[in-house]
Amino acid sequence: MSDRPHMPDEMDLRAAEYVLGLLDGPDEAQATEQLRTDATFAKAVEHWRQRFSELDFTAAEGAGDPALLARILATLDGEAPETQAAGAQTTRLHVGPDTLKSSAPPPRAAPRARAESPISRLWQSLGFWRSTGFAGAAATLLLALGIAFGPFAAPPQPKLVAVLMGPQGEPAAVVNAYGDGTADLIPLRPISVPDGRVLEVWTLWDPARGPVSIGLAGEARRIKLDLKNLPRTGPDQLFEITLEPKGGSPIGRPTGPILMKGTTSVAL
Amino acid sequence: MSAMSGMDHAFDFDAALVACARGERSGLQALYAREAGRMLGVARRIVRRQALAEEAVHDSFVLIWRQAASFDPGRGSGRTWIYAVLRHRALNILRGETRTDLTDDFEPLGLEAPEESPEAAMLRLSESGRLRACLEGLEASRRAAILLAYVNGLTHGELAGRFGVPLGTMKSWIRRTLLSLRECLA
Repeated sequence: MSDRPHMPDEMDLRAAEYVLGLLDGPDEAQATEQLRTDATFAKAVEHWRQRFSELDFTAAEGAGDPALLARILATLDGEAPETQAAGAQTTRLHVGPDTLKSSAPPPRAAPRARAESPISRLWQSLGFWRSTGFAGAAATLLLALGIAFGPFAAPPQPKLVAVLMGPQGEPAAVVNAYGDGTADLIPLRPISVPDGRVLEVWTLWDPARGPVSIGLAGEARRIKLDLKNLPRTGPDQLFEITLEPKGGSPIGRPTGPILMKGTTSVAL
Repeated sequence: MSAMSGMDHAFDFDAALVACARGERSGLQALYAREAGRMLGVARRIVRRQALAEEAVHDSFVLIWRQAASFDPGRGSGRTWIYAVLRHRALNILRGETRTDLTDDFEPLGLEAPEESPEAAMLRLSESGRLRACLEGLEASRRAAILLAYVNGLTHGELAGRFGVPLGTMKSWIRRTLLSLRECLA
């Protein structure tokens, strides 16, 4: 039993946030643990799950693909001895799938490497950066150009600059972040934007929070970025541009392909 | 309506899970036949890409098989449990893997599921149901935030970004909305 004096509302709301999938990182891990050990919390979670589950049942029905079933059964065949071992240690302790967290991920289902945090994975995605080394020198040059591009050549001086690189490692745009908290983006080459699509600019200020939309443009042009709801831009902050449906991503996070990305450095 | 719900109850999820726990493949196959299509739909709303949704469903069935013995019918419904497994897996895939995936592939357009508006799922809820009535009673942006979280898997931070409010504001919006939902659903 939990001996922490929870306000019932507090616990119930946390259960609801957990069920909504809003908890992340340590909060999520803590809730998962509490679910296992605290019957009151587990009850609250189950109750919220039932309240919302009706929404799951609205997803389009359709026959399950027999090929996928075959894959599932093949995975189970592949791990048959292991299943028994796992079965032996699986007691009826746990109520939720949340115990899954602690169990190893299913073996067959790991076509991609898994790593701890999205941000480190981003950095590890060397496919993107593989070709960028070459462009380093050019980038430096363009970075200087980017600074000089400002309409009123002298002030204001950006405090931080990010050169966004395209898929071939070519410098594609520059983001300047100024001392007054404003920022702008200057494209360095044209970008073809299909009909019905727009360019959406994102920044990842806090990996826990995820990318935040800071600008939209129908074509590659200089735009002011909307950073007013974000803390001051810092070094090594990721900026990227994705292609999104007209009006911007309907769900508030990138859905389309990343056209370019880069992180901020301090401007000397 | 009653015919519909009658049909819903015709399938015994708990019994299928008990069969899985006993190591009977027929239990898993019955669950798959009954629910896989819809589970794929739920996963696709979250991870958006067909291949990732299939991965989530694959993983979920493997986990359901492995963990069926830990399912306790006394503590909740079998169907809810299955969807909790799926949602958990889909969110993990979304948060741990998708971003890099997008980065790596530069995937051409068109491979993603067309995005459903947050309201669309709600409009498919039974018109006579409490959940729908209570959601419809919420202020539009609060309702959208709840739906985007549950249906599409957005985090507090993503919601804050989308609605252009500070993170703390979004958190208290959600909490207040949950309180009124709870009251309405009681």
